Amino acid sequence: MLGSTLFGRLPRLERASGLSTKAAAMLAVLSFSLFATFALFLLNSPLAAVPLVAFVGAVAYGWVAHQDVTARVVTLIATTSTIAILGLITVFIFYRAIPAFRVMGTGLFGFTDPVTVFGVSLPAVETFWSTGSNTYSLVPMIWGTLVTTAIAMVIAGPLGIAGALFLAEIAPPMVRDAVKPGVEILAGIPSIVYGYLGFVTLNTFLFENLRMSNLGSLFLVGLVIGLMALPTVVSVADDALTSVPASMRDGSVAMGATEWQTTKSITLPAALSGVSAAVLLGIGRAIGETMAATVIIGHSQQLPQPLADVFASTETLTSLIASQYGNADGTHLSALFAAGVVLFVTVLVLSVGARRVELRMEKKLGGDP
Amino acid sequence: MSDEYASTLVTDETTLGERVASTVIGIGLLVFMLSVLAVARVVTEEASVLGIGLYDFLAVGLLTMGLGVGVVGVGSALGAFDTTPDQTPGTVTAGVFGAIAAAAVWLATLQLGVLGPLGGFPVGLLAGAVTFVGLGLLSEDIGSTLPAVVVAVAVSGAVLTNLLTPAWLWDPEWLSAAFSGSMTIPTLTAAAALLTAWAGAKAYGGYGSEGRQAGAYLLVALNALGMLAVLLAVILFIVTKGIGPAFEGFSLYPFDWPFVLNGYSFRPDVVNGVFPAIVGTLYLVVGATVTGVPVAVAAAVFLTEYAEQGPFVGAVEIATNGLWSTPSVVYGLFGYAFLVPRLGGTTSLLSGILVLGFMLMPLCLITSREAIKSVPDEYRDASAALGVSQWETIKSVVVPAAMPGIVTGVILGVGRIAGETAPILLVMSGGLRDDAPNVLGSFEFTSAPPFVANDALLQSAPALPYQLYATITSGVSADNAVEYGWGTAFVLLVVVLSFYAVGIATRMYFRRRLNYE
Repeated sequence: MLGSTLFGRLPRLERASGLSTKAAAMLAVLSFSLFATFALFLLNSPLAAVPLVAFVGAVAYGWVAHQDVTARVVTLIATTSTIAILGLITVFIFYRAIPAFRVMGTGLFGFTDPVTVFGVSLPAVETFWSTGSNTYSLVPMIWGTLVTTAIAMVIAGPLGIAGALFLAEIAPPMVRDAVKPGVEILAGIPSIVYGYLGFVTLNTFLFENLRMSNLGSLFLVGLVIGLMALPTVVSVADDALTSVPASMRDGSVAMGATEWQTTKSITLPAALSGVSAAVLLGIGRAIGETMAATVIIGHSQQLPQPLADVFASTETLTSLIASQYGNADGTHLSALFAAGVVLFVTVLVLSVGARRVELRMEKKLGGDP
Repeated sequence: MSDEYASTLVTDETTLGERVASTVIGIGLLVFMLSVLAVARVVTEEASVLGIGLYDFLAVGLLTMGLGVGVVGVGSALGAFDTTPDQTPGTVTAGVFGAIAAAAVWLATLQLGVLGPLGGFPVGLLAGAVTFVGLGLLSEDIGSTLPAVVVAVAVSGAVLTNLLTPAWLWDPEWLSAAFSGSMTIPTLTAAAALLTAWAGAKAYGGYGSEGRQAGAYLLVALNALGMLAVLLAVILFIVTKGIGPAFEGFSLYPFDWPFVLNGYSFRPDVVNGVFPAIVGTLYLVVGATVTGVPVAVAAAVFLTEYAEQGPFVGAVEIATNGLWSTPSVVYGLFGYAFLVPRLGGTTSLLSGILVLGFMLMPLCLITSREAIKSVPDEYRDASAALGVSQWETIKSVVVPAAMPGIVTGVILGVGRIAGETAPILLVMSGGLRDDAPNVLGSFEFTSAPPFVANDALLQSAPALPYQLYATITSGVSADNAVEYGWGTAFVLLVVVLSFYAVGIATRMYFRRRLNYE
């Protein structure tokens, strides 16, 4: 039987090798129809509905007749979908970014003067971003994202870790029980609400009191994003600090160290990887933050002159995409996808890094939850 | 963890040094808070405290603090107070004051206009290094108080001698901003007050390790308080701004709540509301839950119950974490490139649902997996010992036991996606309108594939977060656009935060129940 040999090779189905012919046929229909649905949907055919119905039918039949096998296969499919979605995201945004790479080449990262970075020589561009002359260089936006993220993390990093230290080490249990959920709720304030606050109130406040020449600055965006990332950093760093085994702390206190010495020399170093994972997560959040940046910033695709001017009105990668996708097509749209690629790759690298760091911590603390 | 820590054995009455130090800390908190309010322009230089101008009051307070810290520092060095100072103030203290010296000298060269913006930099660094080394030569009581005295006296002196007035202005050419005295003075007094209070707290603890603990705890506790205060201020600000417009024309009997129950009618005589956006958000949330959560729970079941650790599980973990951290705007781009052309070619509610479902999936997968993992193995063993098959065990023992954790994860995940704007912006859009989308009433069967059609699903629909964005970008025709925005922000905040509150309350309830079992 073709079906049983095929599916006998699937991992963890060996035990089900005593599959009946009906079950094997059901599995064959199920997997073929799923594949066909996916393929037809990719090809943008309305006929995709036909195999979808077959798939649902096969699952329904399997659920009634062979629940064990069906459950295992359906959960396997669900698990695989995570990889599939990440793959689809990767393929589609890279694919749509190709035309921009083709037109601009490495000029996508070009400055107004030719420069060589890490041995790669980048050609000069006349202007950084111009739909008229079809020139798209992401340099000002990358700079904007760098600066806002740096400002945000200068705020959210130290203050967030200090907040976590307060919750995990200093606060009495009653205060902790009240404040921790509060901090988690604060992490849920939608970014557009912060953005509205920044747009209506803070923008004009800074404009008047710092006598700025423009509304919206990298400084304000960084400030707001830092405030937004703060609860996330506190919450994750607090989890890392409380996961340090109490025996380690007790040992230190028994040696006559003060609480602060214990915190500084025992708890914090032991939780260092978890705390740095919290900061990395915060950085990831700050890089990807879109709405607050979009509504606050002034949208000029220029490098600030000079670079140290954090009060200049420029652009970040996210706000570029959100503000320009509406009237973009051709290379322009593709360049926006290229901005998405830069964001996606950066955050993915950070996330894998954070996960590595966390795993190291779990190993170091010997799996004590 | 153990709560037993060393406590002071000798508990006689407070000494003079402690009393001076605690007075310094008290004044420091007052000066700091007033300064922060002044930076936020809640109080201005026109205000007066105890008959003198606010900024002069801050300076006098700071001067008092400086003198007080000087007294406890010198007194300790002369042996007047019973303290246990270390031989050096430590690298942290020396480093902080070194950095301050470096910044002060650099800013002073900028102010005087000598050496140019970068020329003063090495001079500043040199001053910092000298301070750092110099402090290292002093004993802790002098080394940690003296520089604080210098800073406090310098700042208050500059204000009291009118070297620094509210009318003072520094407008560097290389910044698009200018710093006026009315902003600079409170910023400086706030920083100096914090620094001096820190020195005071160390003196209060009698220097040494106890003193450093007192100093650190003061700063950490102040940070926690300040953080909560700022975040609560954000919420309160939005509530006070938004509650008025949101409750315009509200009446309990006969029940009417125009802002929530009306659409946006573009008519001046009717209260414009957000009803369509609420309905749209509801469809989005329900749709995303229906598409994302079952997949997430199924994957969590497979990963914990069927799969063994290996390359496949490793790849899935990387993919899940990658999806978890992928920026929302990238999801938007993906939906724009993948879903929109395949689902009718225009931005649509269905695309929005699917993209948010994709976003919800990793959130729920991670929490569900944790929940299923935490079900004790005894449950599974007991079930297997009764001869129940693996799937039956999962279905009737494992998943029900993990349900509280799964539900909590779903609620928190939904709270997060309910406020998402960036993906909706790209795949759904949908502006202000009068009528709510009617998805359930628009199903139709057709003769051509895909045989089922639903116009409402394939059209753009309004949603609360996007509507708030739309009030900013397009501007609303009426004059009260800003009020309408605040009302929308308030309703959105209430919707999202109640998801979070319910989710966190559920988690606390089940955790407590598990702990007592």
